Amino acid sequence: MFNLAWRNLSQNRTQFLLGVGGVALALLLMLTLDALLAGSEEDLVAYIEQSDADIFVAQAGVKNMHMAASAITWRDLRLAEHNAEVISASPILYTTSVVNAGDSDVLSYIIGFDPDEPLGGPGEVAVGTAVLDTDEVIIDDAVARSQGLALGDEVEIMGHNFTIVGLTHGLTNIVNSVSFISLRDFQMLRPGDAVSYALLDVAAGADPVQVAAAINDRNPDVLALPTAEFSREERQIIRDMSVEILNIMNLSGLLIGLAVTALTLYTSTLRKRQEYGVLKAIGARNHHLYSVVAAQAALSLLLGFVAAIGLVWLLGQIIPLAVPGMGLALTRTGITRVLISTLIIGVAAALAPAWQLARLDPAQVFRS
Amino acid sequence: MDAIMQVEHVTRRFGSGRTEVVAVDDVSLSAAPGEVLLIMGPSGSGKTTLLSMLGGLLQPSSGRIRIGDDELTQLDENRLPDVRLHHIGFIFQDFNLLSALSCLDNVALVGQLNGLSRKDSRQRARDLLEQLGLGHRLTFLPEKLSGGEKQRVAIARALVNQPTIILADEPTANLDSHHGHETMRLLRRVAREEQRSVIIVSHDQRIKDIADRILWLEDGAFKNVVEMAADPVCGMSVDKDSAPAQVMWQGRTFYFCAHGCRDEFLADPETFMPDQAN
Repeated sequence: MFNLAWRNLSQNRTQFLLGVGGVALALLLMLTLDALLAGSEEDLVAYIEQSDADIFVAQAGVKNMHMAASAITWRDLRLAEHNAEVISASPILYTTSVVNAGDSDVLSYIIGFDPDEPLGGPGEVAVGTAVLDTDEVIIDDAVARSQGLALGDEVEIMGHNFTIVGLTHGLTNIVNSVSFISLRDFQMLRPGDAVSYALLDVAAGADPVQVAAAINDRNPDVLALPTAEFSREERQIIRDMSVEILNIMNLSGLLIGLAVTALTLYTSTLRKRQEYGVLKAIGARNHHLYSVVAAQAALSLLLGFVAAIGLVWLLGQIIPLAVPGMGLALTRTGITRVLISTLIIGVAAALAPAWQLARLDPAQVFRS
Repeated sequence: MDAIMQVEHVTRRFGSGRTEVVAVDDVSLSAAPGEVLLIMGPSGSGKTTLLSMLGGLLQPSSGRIRIGDDELTQLDENRLPDVRLHHIGFIFQDFNLLSALSCLDNVALVGQLNGLSRKDSRQRARDLLEQLGLGHRLTFLPEKLSGGEKQRVAIARALVNQPTIILADEPTANLDSHHGHETMRLLRRVAREEQRSVIIVSHDQRIKDIADRILWLEDGAFKNVVEMAADPVCGMSVDKDSAPAQVMWQGRTFYFCAHGCRDEFLADPETFMPDQAN
């Protein structure tokens, strides 16, 4: 029966390609959006996860960086540092601004860090130096590429000119980028007594969860979170912001996939009605015929699914070249979600043809 | 000889009250092993309805149909597919091969439905197709075959489960004269050599030549029963009632189209005994 299903499916090449292609495109819609959001999550938390910090200390109530403002005092920072398990506490200043390069502006998180402190700066500099001096900036290579900038070029940040001395990699996301200036320059441009966050390095063997809890117990004005949790909170922001869109797109993909598969399967069954009648007359039972329809549905969905995965992977290679900062990341959750949708499509699409076959009168074979 | 199929007083009505139509009216017949039974009749005479009932595709309103030990009219609907699969081979007017499958797969599929393994069913299908002269067409799709070849594949498909009865609906209708004769010879061979009952519904007068009996169906009932026999000398089909000559030999009656054939037979009967002939 599997052989018959495959032959039925592939007999008309155009219909086969349209059917499988339609399914692939519908699943692609779901997979791509999921992969896009997953990619955005990865990009968005790149600074946090590359920072090498064990704990992030923020103002009480602030659990992340994206679209957040945090201010802690130097005293708060010293209090956090005054913990036996804490090796260092590195301050950063943080705001959202633009990097102006000639005619265009690029939205960017501006991070002011102290080059003399162990943490806070870029995790890795691909080109140039991580040691900043006055009026120097490190930007991401994706921004440099898109704006035609190179080391030694000047950009304007917060109304002040900076010379590019280093390029990071992987710190540009779909929304913006991350640029680094020195803490001193940041303080000069935005004077104040506070810093935004403190990045803590804890001693080897110490548990960041316990250390963070101890800091929080001692100082109610701050919220110390282990980096893993801080990153998770940052990811949650993206998810909370995108859940509605994701649901709508998933539903759209599911409905399109269902429509394509159901229509292909139904017309194929209708076209083969006489042949199914012959099989029934010869002695095939309904379950034999259902298995042909089910196998056809499974085959076209499986092929569509594999094609969709392949296309997402291909897009993942092409898109970052065309649109810097936009990455696709296939996740197990995303694939599982689409697989479940595929199963739902398969079962739903096979119902109408199965009903049609159950009602098929085998005696029709004698009425030519 | 015991009949393979026994049909007793079968009637089939459609509709009720003033709109009731009696498609088949109190029909009885039996089919013996090795017998070719031809049912003829004008359009609308009830041939298709009768054939559908004989094939277990339609239940009669009254009467009984028995195949071997199974009484179709008493069987649950769920058991009818098994009876069709095991006991009946179907041959259709339009061949009705599965267009997406090769000749081999068309035949093998029916074996697989009957529980044979893929390997065994393909082997049996291959053997049958080779016997029917289609060994060089095994991988061809039906669209690549001539009408005669398609009908031979259909015959192979009907035979693959070694049924006791072959039901053929207008098997020569879409064939030219040559392929029509070829199909007729094949059906006769199937009946004679493998002791199957072949029941043919047809308008084709040529089939009379291979039929042992001809039943004329009109307005749902048999009007005239003509029993045919093959002249053992020339092979021509002759009406038993009006045969010009007949001879008893070793307890059997032989019918001849002419006295010349009878004389030739009597000169050396052993030569023309059916067991010796093809």
